Amino acid sequence: MTSKWKLSEIIILSVLAVVFAVVYLAFVQVGNVMAGMMGPIGYEWIFGIWFIVSIIAAYILRKPGAAFLSETVAGTIEVLIGNAMGPMLIVSAMIQGAGAEAVFAATRYKRWGLWVLMLAGMGSAVTSFIWGYFISGYGALDPGYVTLMFTIRLVSGALLAGLLGKWLTDGLYQTGVLNSYAIARDKKKASYGKAS
Amino acid sequence: MWLHTINPSVKMITILLTIIVLALFLDPVLYLVFWLGIITITFTLSKVSFKIWALLTAPFVFMAIGYVWTAMLFPNEALLADEQMLFEWGWLRLTEESLARSAGLGMRVIVFSALSLLFVLTTKPVLFMLSLMQQLKVPTRLAYGVMAGYQFLPLIKEEFQIMQRAQQIRGVGRPRTLKERVRQWKSFIIPLLASAIRKAERTAIAMESKGFTGEARTHWYTEIPLRKRDGLFVCLLAGLFFTAYAASAVL
Repeated sequence: MTSKWKLSEIIILSVLAVVFAVVYLAFVQVGNVMAGMMGPIGYEWIFGIWFIVSIIAAYILRKPGAAFLSETVAGTIEVLIGNAMGPMLIVSAMIQGAGAEAVFAATRYKRWGLWVLMLAGMGSAVTSFIWGYFISGYGALDPGYVTLMFTIRLVSGALLAGLLGKWLTDGLYQTGVLNSYAIARDKKKASYGKAS
Repeated sequence: MWLHTINPSVKMITILLTIIVLALFLDPVLYLVFWLGIITITFTLSKVSFKIWALLTAPFVFMAIGYVWTAMLFPNEALLADEQMLFEWGWLRLTEESLARSAGLGMRVIVFSALSLLFVLTTKPVLFMLSLMQQLKVPTRLAYGVMAGYQFLPLIKEEFQIMQRAQQIRGVGRPRTLKERVRQWKSFIIPLLASAIRKAERTAIAMESKGFTGEARTHWYTEIPLRKRDGLFVCLLAGLFFTAYAASAVL
């Protein structure tokens, strides 16, 4: 998957994953406090933040595999830092990344508007919820309650991953550090198109 | 001691498979027996400190309690229908089976955490990455890229502190409202990401200029071997699972 990538792209994917692995771990603490008060539904409100690196990496690099790999690497780095959830985190990360990747693949990696990014966040929400349903045994809970959890996670995925991810990346783009990546190529093409 | 020398890839896959197999059951007795076994293995076969272990387990206990009361308050009504009612008060309805399911969900969190800690506390990060390359054939470009990124962690932390102090000197107060908090968060994350990306580019150029091509390797400076004890570890966990399964069938 990475054989055609430039080394700089791979390392950028890794540093994005490092920064967001730290953010993710911070949010695990927030989630734990919320879950302590509300039970497992406490995580759902902020679940989207755990998909954000997929959106950002794919939006910058615009390559097949960017969403899946960045999330997987972020999960691996969380384990390297020493998160107590251990190897399960890598599996959940792969499943979350696959959800976003599927949405980008459906657009053939050609559309990068806000709606696509929000849909990708929701894609991660869907796959991660199916996995969570199995591994956490939601079958024992009231279906209405589980539906509520799922709805919150979908909204959270769209907003905290899709919307926030686009907002952050666009801010990052303005600093000029992304000028040699696919995002700049597409954005410049669009602005030339307008000028002529 | 012994657990620290198990091949990291073998350890990871065994633990993942165990978790997936355990998730097929929802049986508090099986989980309890398995958990006791894992604790015994952890503390007899490794030099994990009990204090650290207990500290890391504590949040999972709260999580487990959350699962237990959620499952008690919001049970799957379809399952309750033909079960023996044990306790009814207002809309809170408990049956023997629903109680077992709630306990099972909580116990599951605790068992999974014990298994994860068994991995996390006995595996060195660098050896884990090396093992991923050698046993699981993760592409070297990706794995070394991840290791390079991982080395940035202290640098990024230092930069964060510098920015924090710079903001303090210029009189940026603590955020009070949510809006201020988001704005402050953005004022940190974008410069952090920008400098991380610049560092990544420099690192990539340095790696390539020193001849790193990322070709598949046949020889390693640090070899992570596969040994008999790895097989023994798999058997140990499988044996523990069957013991727990038998115990739950008898009880």
